[in-house]
Amino acid sequence: MKKSWIPVFLLWLLFTVLGLVLVMNTSVMPAQYSEEAHHIDEAYELLEVLAVPVMALVLAVMLWGAIGWRSRGADREDGPPQRGSKLIIGVWLVITVSLAIGILINPGFVGLAAVRGEATQDYVVELQGQQFAWTVTYPNGAEAVDELVVPLEARVRYDVSSVDVLHSFWIPAFRTKIDAVPGRTTQVRITATHTGTMEDDVNLRIQCAELCGAGHARMQLPVRVVEEAEWLEYIEGLGTDG
Amino acid sequence: MKYVLRGAILALVGYIAGIWLTVAVRGGSPTDEVAVVFGFILALLGWIAGIGGIEAFGRQWLGKKPVVSTDKGWRRYFEFSIDHKVIGIQYGVTLIAVLLIGGLSAMLMRIELASAGQGILDLDDFNKVVSMHGILMVAVAVAGVLGAFGNYVIPIQVGAADMAFPRLNALAYWLIPPVAVALLGAPFLGAFNAGWTAYAPLSVTNESGQILFNLAIITFGLSSILGGINVIVTVITMRAPGMTWGRLPIFAWAGFSASLLSFCVTQFFAGALVLVTMDRVAGTAFFSPEVGTGLLYEHIFWFYSHPAVYIMVLPGFGVILELVPTFARKPLFAYKAAVVAMLSIVGLSVVVWAHHMFTSGMADFLHGPFMILTEAISIPTGIIFLAMIGTLWQGRLWFRTPLLLAFGWLFNFLIGGITGIFLADVATDIHLHDTYYVVAHFHYTIVGGAIFALLAAVFYWFPKITGRMYNERAGQIFAVWVTVFFNLTFIPLFWVGINGMNRRIGDYPEAFEGPNRFASIAALILGASFLLFIGNLVYSAIRGPKAGPNPWNARTIEWQVSSPPPQHNFTSQPRVVGHPYDYGVEGSVHVVFDGDTKSEEVHA
Repeated sequence: MKKSWIPVFLLWLLFTVLGLVLVMNTSVMPAQYSEEAHHIDEAYELLEVLAVPVMALVLAVMLWGAIGWRSRGADREDGPPQRGSKLIIGVWLVITVSLAIGILINPGFVGLAAVRGEATQDYVVELQGQQFAWTVTYPNGAEAVDELVVPLEARVRYDVSSVDVLHSFWIPAFRTKIDAVPGRTTQVRITATHTGTMEDDVNLRIQCAELCGAGHARMQLPVRVVEEAEWLEYIEGLGTDG
Repeated sequence: MKYVLRGAILALVGYIAGIWLTVAVRGGSPTDEVAVVFGFILALLGWIAGIGGIEAFGRQWLGKKPVVSTDKGWRRYFEFSIDHKVIGIQYGVTLIAVLLIGGLSAMLMRIELASAGQGILDLDDFNKVVSMHGILMVAVAVAGVLGAFGNYVIPIQVGAADMAFPRLNALAYWLIPPVAVALLGAPFLGAFNAGWTAYAPLSVTNESGQILFNLAIITFGLSSILGGINVIVTVITMRAPGMTWGRLPIFAWAGFSASLLSFCVTQFFAGALVLVTMDRVAGTAFFSPEVGTGLLYEHIFWFYSHPAVYIMVLPGFGVILELVPTFARKPLFAYKAAVVAMLSIVGLSVVVWAHHMFTSGMADFLHGPFMILTEAISIPTGIIFLAMIGTLWQGRLWFRTPLLLAFGWLFNFLIGGITGIFLADVATDIHLHDTYYVVAHFHYTIVGGAIFALLAAVFYWFPKITGRMYNERAGQIFAVWVTVFFNLTFIPLFWVGINGMNRRIGDYPEAFEGPNRFASIAALILGASFLLFIGNLVYSAIRGPKAGPNPWNARTIEWQVSSPPPQHNFTSQPRVVGHPYDYGVEGSVHVVFDGDTKSEEVHA
């Protein structure tokens, strides 16, 4: 019965190749508008590649099982009494442990460091969540409630807070997300890399991503990425009294 | 039925008394939350007393002998029966009913989400339906396999006449109906819209239905804890002679592992909800926005609710590993490693909770350790997969409904496991957290891992429990139907999640309409499959052909007794003499019955 290895291996190879071709030639991620999005998508794509051979193995066994090991029920004889050997369990453990360690290093810690970046910033923008709206406060003290305008190629630290319940500050086009916790200030740093508006891309929006009550779904704020000079002009124009 | 009626009357009396006393002492309105709390507590006591607590416990406190139901026939299912087989069926029928109600709420959600813009539900009603769906299905997943089959099968598998604490077992079950009544009654007090997670401070400030949620879940937690200790003690102390730990059927191991968890961690969810309840009714400020302790709730909550995932899924592992050897006609591959893996999962599962909180604003230095621990869980889970694949390897696969569902389980849990890695990784989780990707992922693990196992278990043990065979063709059609449409429902949801649609929203940007509509149509067809499931079971339980004691030619003890088993499970003492899964091993025997000449001969 040694021959079971051959069809299963061939199926595994086939699924692996097909899977790799598929994941390397398609992207499921939306358009990137920030450096962080670049790092996160890279991590995602690496994990996709690593997932393919693992999935392929289980699928190969299942498919060959359904074809090659099917019993009609009429012959109710038993299968070979393999209880498992220390060798197979050992090899399996070595492979799964190595995979886990590999994934922890990259994209795990590599991705974590890249996404977090250095603890420096060019500007600090405050965001306050409340049921069901966001208030933006720019570095010059100007406030806005109708949109978030972001300077291109500048590292901005967002200080996020909430006055009532948990909210979450998420801009899908930037990928990053941090909860707004009442009584605390949480921080996230983002560098925008492309200009655009919510009309161009629906993911250029702040979307509350923590269930916060009746208006949660519509707790959104359009995001507009503009050149830094234009941004400075914009916040100047807002004035300091909002 | 008279005991149910008596329980209902005493519950009503208790409820009114609790409310009346509260109003008399402190004034205020009978719909004040504090009045509801005392009303619920007295109603619960009244219900338990009425359903049979007076006879089973109360008499003993007066120095008399306890009396328990000895009714035969259908009446015993509505009484405080202490027969673990009756209790198993009570759990099974109750939780399948809850599964169907939860399923209907999912249909409502998918109809609303079939198109962008507001449809049949406004945004807040949608949140309430989401919350109801979530908590009902969590209850089914937590107690489904363990309550129904843990109760019915484990005592017989270990060779015991009943559970270690039969009256406690009945109590654990009869705590469930008040939970269902409180949850389904919550809409009368404005329902609850904070999700099944009930994150504070939202759960402190939302409508009064939340208080019923809190009381229901604390009660449900009590039931889980009592059920847990019962399984633990049964497996440790009630095993038949010769049933060593190394011969314990894998399903009993799984139930034991899951029970260790439910006994040890359920308190945390209950504790968190006690704090929320105190904030609401007693003027405490554990989670007041000014205090800044929103993260505290999340930590306590996930300290239960991540292990809860394994309370749901470990019994699922047990079911699938139990039936695969039978239908592959092979010994369970790497049995010992699988046992060690399950116990490792028990240990690891209590130290990974904060992977639900990578975007919560908790201290950055916690991200690394929780990522390591979370990904470490993939190693024992990998062993479970090895056991399954190894058992299938070169087997004589007999594709009956249970094995088809086990294949569906394997595929779904594979997707669930692999997408779990993307959520364990901090970088990718920062984007994916709280999106539909998470929704799809946990449906693949919980429906894939627990509910598919529940369905497989229903078909596998149906002939044992009812004594009749289900309709095989209808079972196979159902297995394929449910697997295909489950996947068609949830695969598109990964895509919308990645592409910027967050969860728990009754409306979404139009860009996501296509995949959502596809998922909605698939979900409705998925929902319809359960008509076939129920129809098959009900018809077959009444009219199905006699199944005989061992239709699968299986080796574990429950298949060596009649279908259904006699009142105390055995007519003579079982003695375990070999491994439960030695299919294909010449002359191997798992169990003999003392004084039974036929089996002695087989042994010789």
